[in-house]
Amino acid sequence: MIRTEEMLLNVGPQHPSTHGVFRVIVKIDGETIVEATPVIGYLHRGTEKLAEDLTYTQIIPYTDRMDYLSAMIGNYALVHAVETLMGLEIPERAEYLRVIAMELNRIASHLVWFGTYLLDIGALTPFLYAFREREKILRLFAELSGARLTYSYMRIGGVKWDVPDDGWLGRVRRFIDDFKGALEEFHTLVTGNEIVQARLKGVGKYDQETAIAYGLTGVNLRSTGVAYDVRKAKPYSIYDRFDFEVPVRTEGDLWARYLLRMAELEQSRRIVEQAVAQFPSGGEIMAKLPKLIRPPAGEVYTSVESPRGELGVYILSEGKPQPYRIHFRRPSFVNLQLLPKLLVGENIANMIAILGSIDIVLGEVDA
Amino acid sequence: MYGTGLLKGLGVTFKEMFKPKVTTKYPDEPFEFPNRVRGIQKLYPDKCIVCNQCAIICPTQCITLKGKPHPDPEKKGKVLEYFDINFEICILCDFCTEVCPTEAIVMTTNFELATYSRDALNKDMQWLDANDTNVRELNLPWRQTSSSS
Amino acid sequence: MRDWLYEPLSAERFGWMVLSILILLGVLLFLVTYAIYVQRKLLGWMQSRVGPNRVGPYGLLQTIADVLKLLTKESFVPTHADRPLYLLAPIVAFAPAFVVFAVIPLTDRIAFTDIGIGLLFYIGVASLSTLGVIMGGWASNNKWSLIGAMRAAAMMISYEIPLVLAALGVVMLAGSINLVDIVEAQRGVWNVVPQFVGFVIFLIAALAELNRTPFDLTEAESELIAGYQVEYSGFRFAIFMLGEYVYLFAMGALIAILYFGGWLPPHPALDFIPGIVWLVVKTLFFAYLPFWLQATFPRVRIDQLMTFSWKVLMPLALVNIAFTSLVKTIAGGVS
Ligand code: SF4
Ligand code: SF4
Repeated sequence: MIRTEEMLLNVGPQHPSTHGVFRVIVKIDGETIVEATPVIGYLHRGTEKLAEDLTYTQIIPYTDRMDYLSAMIGNYALVHAVETLMGLEIPERAEYLRVIAMELNRIASHLVWFGTYLLDIGALTPFLYAFREREKILRLFAELSGARLTYSYMRIGGVKWDVPDDGWLGRVRRFIDDFKGALEEFHTLVTGNEIVQARLKGVGKYDQETAIAYGLTGVNLRSTGVAYDVRKAKPYSIYDRFDFEVPVRTEGDLWARYLLRMAELEQSRRIVEQAVAQFPSGGEIMAKLPKLIRPPAGEVYTSVESPRGELGVYILSEGKPQPYRIHFRRPSFVNLQLLPKLLVGENIANMIAILGSIDIVLGEVDA
Repeated sequence: MYGTGLLKGLGVTFKEMFKPKVTTKYPDEPFEFPNRVRGIQKLYPDKCIVCNQCAIICPTQCITLKGKPHPDPEKKGKVLEYFDINFEICILCDFCTEVCPTEAIVMTTNFELATYSRDALNKDMQWLDANDTNVRELNLPWRQTSSSS
Repeated sequence: MRDWLYEPLSAERFGWMVLSILILLGVLLFLVTYAIYVQRKLLGWMQSRVGPNRVGPYGLLQTIADVLKLLTKESFVPTHADRPLYLLAPIVAFAPAFVVFAVIPLTDRIAFTDIGIGLLFYIGVASLSTLGVIMGGWASNNKWSLIGAMRAAAMMISYEIPLVLAALGVVMLAGSINLVDIVEAQRGVWNVVPQFVGFVIFLIAALAELNRTPFDLTEAESELIAGYQVEYSGFRFAIFMLGEYVYLFAMGALIAILYFGGWLPPHPALDFIPGIVWLVVKTLFFAYLPFWLQATFPRVRIDQLMTFSWKVLMPLALVNIAFTSLVKTIAGGVS
């Protein structure tokens, strides 16, 4: 009889498909994974501890660097929690700017996912097409907030900058219109491709109970048939004013997650379209606030829908300018916990595809 | 039919060959950033009243500054003795320019900081003063003032 | 030139032979250099980029700069590698890709050899280069390259068979495995018309043989980082790459010869253009086709690849052979 031996393989921390410094130790038998142990923490900066010594405003740049692909939403999650604690009323114009920024950011973030995911399963070109489109969003963000990735655009009580007066909204509008064509191109190039379908259908499946038991959120949860989207479930900001759908599928496999993210691109596009159309013509962008922000003592937990799931912020305040304790519920970190279970029995090619479909951002996993 | 998706995909990439390219020619041609972009700070040492607010707000504590009494005994207040920004850790978050009451420190859209040594990234007052190209026009959006001087 | 093979050898003639071999090597290296350049340009254009443009006008010297860089780099041998095998592997991978050019007739007049079993020789020798890949992957003593090598072995076994079976259809039509005869048999109509199924199978199997997208599983940079090449650097890596590209041209030429009439023009009226031009044009087309696929397709999974080969390509190829022989018997019976 032939005796086969299992082999330990270190995937990462320097591996092109781990999307950052992330490591999985897999025990493989041939190409089949017997056991997988994720190792995280390479990017740990102790954001929560650091934040205890920072004023609330000073924490904003740190939220940029957690989920660096959707910094606008990270900014918002923090300022939203502080505003809730303080019971602040946000000027309407600022809310519209926030929604436009957040949804554009969701598009940008999903585009990065789309590009890198296709790169994971071996297609080069969609990556560049996706980044071509994302570049347009980054340009718009640079014009609006002054940065391409770490925006620090939101402030407690509003936003930092008003709309640039050189027709920025018009450019958003044009992008949103053109983006329809780009989406169609992606679908022709990728969604219809039989190899992509063969790679994704039926792989990386899990059911609703598992998803709920592991606390998955975002697309990872919605792919199993639970229509939970924080924007609809606990509406924040002015999301109740827009007409959009929460795409849901029931298969729970890679293909479902792929289609859901593609569908979300279209939904975010629709939200931006409506927000630009309804944009108020005048008004403040900042609420009236004292110079030093001191929320009342107490605690608060609020959550927003980030591209990766429910991004929650818990603040315990003692009425000082700094939080006593702040905790971020980072969706990437929570979603990643399912990985070892999903990987058992899969081969190496599937491992890469499954890891990619969870859509983690290591800055957020390690915080 | 099986395979039509593949052929359509080939059509997409083929057509793309004849479309205009989107890459820029950096560094042969400078990359133009919009004016709001947060780049390396410009300091006007004369305007600074040594109020320390920028050093306090800085989330990474990368500003070190010290004042000295005004050399002209007639005048009150302080002038800067030194003012360093450590660009190893400055995250260009814009907070220092936001709190400065006199707009002594403002942003420019310059961004090329790469050097061969870390020490070279600690920029002093003279260097920050000399960094006077592409200065941002509007620095305090809430006050709608302009630092054109 | 072909006459040389049938005439007694003289010193002068031998000199010419050596010279023409050197010319072939030179032409091939030149072609490979610019094939890489054109590949990168094409890939760039298909991806909204401009491709190489830094070294020389239009980046024309980019590949040369890259080769120089590779040649001057330290050629690293891992401590625990199987040294003799490790050093031998790139040569084993490269040599066959070059040797097969010997049997490829450039026109009916220009050929380096004219052996009766041209096609058999080609397929037999070409499959040796997989051995180099397996050797390299094994000898590197690296888990990633080992997996790459194992994949290469599995792929070779699965795809060599449909490749040969598909080519059999052509051989039956021509009644010969001499490549010149095969081309001559296509004077009336190119083989791609009666053998379309065979052509498709051959093309797919050839892509797998060449390790090109969507079958680039042995390298699979997003899964195996670079597969069997992971520990190779400097000129050994360059030789692996060179072998891969030369093989691409050899395969392009073979497809042109087997299915697209080799040096024959599409229509007799175009006879004024020399045959070699036709062959080169067809070869280049089939050598560049993989780059287009590379720009478009993702990679298939190893198990899908095997299933596809054994459950789809193999039966199809067998049906193709049966059908061809049926047609041939009926047609032969009539005449
Ligand atoms: S930009 Fe931010 S990090 Fe840099 S010096 Fe100013 S406050 Fe500090
Ligand atoms: S905030 Fe402005 S005025 Fe105050 S110390 Fe800093 S640079 Fe000088």
